[in-house]
Amino acid sequence: MAVQISGNDITVPRDGTFSRNVSIAGTLTYEDVTNVDSIGLVTARNGIEVGASPGVAASISVDGNMIVSGITTIGGVVNASSDIKVGSGVTVGKDGDIFATGVTTSSTVKVGAAVTISESGIEASGIGITCGNLNGSALSNRRNLIINGDFFIHQRQGAGTLASMYLADRWYGESSGTDEVPTWSRESLSSSDTGPWEEGFRIAGRVTNGNQTSGLDAGDYMYMNQTIEANNLAQSGWNYTSSSSYLTLSFWVRSSVAREIGGYIRTYDGTAQKFVWTVGDVSANTWTKKVLRIPGNSNLQFDTNENIGLQVQWRMSYGSNYTSGSANVGSWVTLSNADLGQDGATGNDTWWTTNDATYDITGVQLEVGSQPTAFEHHTYAEELFLCQRYYGRYNSGRIAHGVAGSSTESYCTFHPYQPMRAAPSITVNALGKVVKEGTAWYDISALNINSSGTDQYIVTLQVMSSGGNGMSGTNALTIGNGTDFSLTAEI
Amino acid sequence: MNETKPIKSAKFVASYGQNESVIITYEDNSVLGVPFDNNNTDYQNYLDWVAAGNTAEAAD
Repeated sequence: MAVQISGNDITVPRDGTFSRNVSIAGTLTYEDVTNVDSIGLVTARNGIEVGASPGVAASISVDGNMIVSGITTIGGVVNASSDIKVGSGVTVGKDGDIFATGVTTSSTVKVGAAVTISESGIEASGIGITCGNLNGSALSNRRNLIINGDFFIHQRQGAGTLASMYLADRWYGESSGTDEVPTWSRESLSSSDTGPWEEGFRIAGRVTNGNQTSGLDAGDYMYMNQTIEANNLAQSGWNYTSSSSYLTLSFWVRSSVAREIGGYIRTYDGTAQKFVWTVGDVSANTWTKKVLRIPGNSNLQFDTNENIGLQVQWRMSYGSNYTSGSANVGSWVTLSNADLGQDGATGNDTWWTTNDATYDITGVQLEVGSQPTAFEHHTYAEELFLCQRYYGRYNSGRIAHGVAGSSTESYCTFHPYQPMRAAPSITVNALGKVVKEGTAWYDISALNINSSGTDQYIVTLQVMSSGGNGMSGTNALTIGNGTDFSLTAEI
Repeated sequence: MNETKPIKSAKFVASYGQNESVIITYEDNSVLGVPFDNNNTDYQNYLDWVAAGNTAEAAD
């Protein structure tokens, strides 16, 4: 059929080719277009849809909305005059805010030039970091519930080869059943003590074993411990009856014999509870930092008083009398002496039977929270002040002043360095002398504590001396000139 | 385990006829003058020793 012209209509039944422009004054309707290539603007007055209808993959409507159901790849800059949203989880605000309701993963985040958060930590210059708490507890100093955790204070002075003694202030060592008693001491560290030295520790507490020729018998034991006042636990901020609230114990340890490091913690108020702990093995002669997380428990009780609340104990060796029960490692259970440590712990027996084996610890910190923080280093004066609540030694020239009751019996009062935990006991190291000022010194024959005039805050001493010193009732007097005694209110 | 040292003997100290403290001698021969204070752990240890049937020597 050829081209037909009928009235105003033209019918072309075959392919058409136009070598010049085609103008259409009315509506152009066409189907099965393979490609549209416009060298000018394309105007779609009712929108554009891409894909077969219904269910088009992308559309641009005349109101300016664009919907794309597949992946959109944009090679250039996206300029958005309003917010950009990704689902309901992420919003990039036009004002610069980014909100993400899910997890954001990034290897490094920088805030200006001052703060960098990376996998290795947070670096902040300028004013640093402001926060209300750290590790779930107060951001104040004195996080450490252990006193003298670096073994720096030792008012009693010197080492001792004894069954039991304070090897440093607040640190008690005890043994029983030994063939040869151990030596308790403080050891100076040097730069060769890699680990604790770099963290500023210069002293470690040490026990050196004796020669236990008969082996570890059932009732034998040796340990180091520190006791903590109930007041300090009750008011520490530890929600101790909650199993999701924690104390964290951290310390450096070294043993001359490869061994397991462990011990037990016990309470005293209410029904005594114990927590047998282990922090794994250490190689011989290698300083290792250990961390223990201690949960609360509904059976724990700490009263608000000055009595003992908690004991933290490091085991050197326990005989089978103390390891025969169920240790329940890592759980709080009612105290029983039969299960203070798990049986067969690495090195428990070997350490005991190794003559002169050593066990060192330092940098001990017990704090509220589930993570260990850096050790609190205090000045000597600060730590000494904390220790003198429990022990103080007095041996300066003129220690106390008083009044004679007679030629043989006098009374002196004085204030301890600070209020003590309780009315103290006295250990007399040297009696010294007593003098009525302006006369000669006379030997003291006995020095006793007088309960009537002694409490936490003040101490009254009964001073006995031989007659003939020229003193009589109401004479003012002084003691000293060699007097040396210690006051103890340990727990 | 023992957490207090075992006591060997004890003796009161008097002032004007009234006991004012007790001198404790431990098994290791260390000596301590102890006030009558219930919060003092040495005194608590002494009371346990007395409760076990022991008696302190009278004051001079």
